[in-house]
Amino acid sequence: MTPSAPAISQIDLFADSILTDPYPTFTELRELGSVVHLPVNNVYALTRYDAIRAALADPATFSSRTIGFNPMVNEALQGTSLASDPPVHTELRAALTENLTPRALRGLKTRIDTKAEALVADLVAQGTFEAIDALARAFPLEVVADLIGFTGAARDNMLRWGQAAMEVIGPLNPRTLENFPIAGELYAWCAGVQAEDLAPGSVGRGIFDAEARGTIPPGTAGHIIHQYLGAGVDTTITALGNIVALFAAFPDQFDLVRQNPSLVPAAFNEVLRFWAPLHAWGREVTRDVEIDGVLVPAGSQVAILFGAGNRDPRHYDNPDAFLVERNPADHLSFGYGSHGCAGQGLARLEAHAVIAALATHAQRLDAAEPVRLPSNITRSIDALDILKVVPA
Amino acid sequence: MNIILDRPRCEGHGLCEEAAPALMHLDDDGELIIDVGDLPDDSTELAAARAAVRVCPVAALKLA
Repeated sequence: MTPSAPAISQIDLFADSILTDPYPTFTELRELGSVVHLPVNNVYALTRYDAIRAALADPATFSSRTIGFNPMVNEALQGTSLASDPPVHTELRAALTENLTPRALRGLKTRIDTKAEALVADLVAQGTFEAIDALARAFPLEVVADLIGFTGAARDNMLRWGQAAMEVIGPLNPRTLENFPIAGELYAWCAGVQAEDLAPGSVGRGIFDAEARGTIPPGTAGHIIHQYLGAGVDTTITALGNIVALFAAFPDQFDLVRQNPSLVPAAFNEVLRFWAPLHAWGREVTRDVEIDGVLVPAGSQVAILFGAGNRDPRHYDNPDAFLVERNPADHLSFGYGSHGCAGQGLARLEAHAVIAALATHAQRLDAAEPVRLPSNITRSIDALDILKVVPA
Repeated sequence: MNIILDRPRCEGHGLCEEAAPALMHLDDDGELIIDVGDLPDDSTELAAARAAVRVCPVAALKLA
């Protein structure tokens, strides 16, 4: 059968209204087809679960050399595991994940649990709080800073550097242009960082030790620190904010977790499925490829819409419902395959600790409407006032 | 059917163990051990094996 031309939609995938509330658009695009051509952004959007998962599993056809939606960021990311393909990727990935795998992180679990417990107990005792600054941002900033061994100026800049590193992955719109100088500060800092800038005994210091030993190639320690910060801060903040917002919005689902703490991992999977932290992620098609009967020509830029795939009714029953017992362990929010989120073990440690602490200390969270600001890649809540906490 | 582990790819996330605890486990060092890798075609554990393959976040497991 001759492949057909893809459906076309004239939306701007990075328009403010779509970034803050993408799900109606995701539904429209998914109904148009697994692949939809978006001429405004010059991309082919992948919208359905199976098509997205198959693309993520096939790095030979869907190359990571253009994970970003502008040439400058793609150029800047060359040489990182994020933007490379096998076989080069395999070695870079191993260096990146050596300190991030669950077995490497096991020693941190108790410390992370204790921190989450203390922080949440304190917030619940206050009765009202702003959940994004006080919890969703405060907690991972502290965990990641301690892990990498940041001190001083770097620590103070983590939030803005982390946000900018994500924002500049977008197309060349005003948001991307405004953030390039800030992402550049992070880039410059990581290019110059030395072992002694990082706290003794930290994972960051360990990466420099590995470079000195020759376990990882010369000059890669700074890259790895860059990726920890660029990829690990804004996304985790997003997921933690979403946990609080969704538990506040669906008290019956929060009750299920409170009554059955073994649901903590399932609840986190459902939070990630329901609101994907990443709006869109790029790939470049290396050869003419047919997806569900539609031809995508070699050289095309693809936009993977994790959130659209996560709500695909072909894969999940009743996909627009938030159900903590669903346990969608195969959700797409961490990606999949050789480029699957390298920090997912750490993200799980942090999120499980926060969910368990909330379920222990709070009975109900009454929240104001979440405040969302458009951002190109990370779809996060900017402010979430908890007006009243009923303690457990 | 055989459960095939691509050892260098495995990062020890442990989702497979949750899906198929009778077939595999992470040892004390966090290394994945396949306890039962060879499954007859009528095995009642095939569904669990498929689930384990499916949830591996880095595609390190295959059933062939």
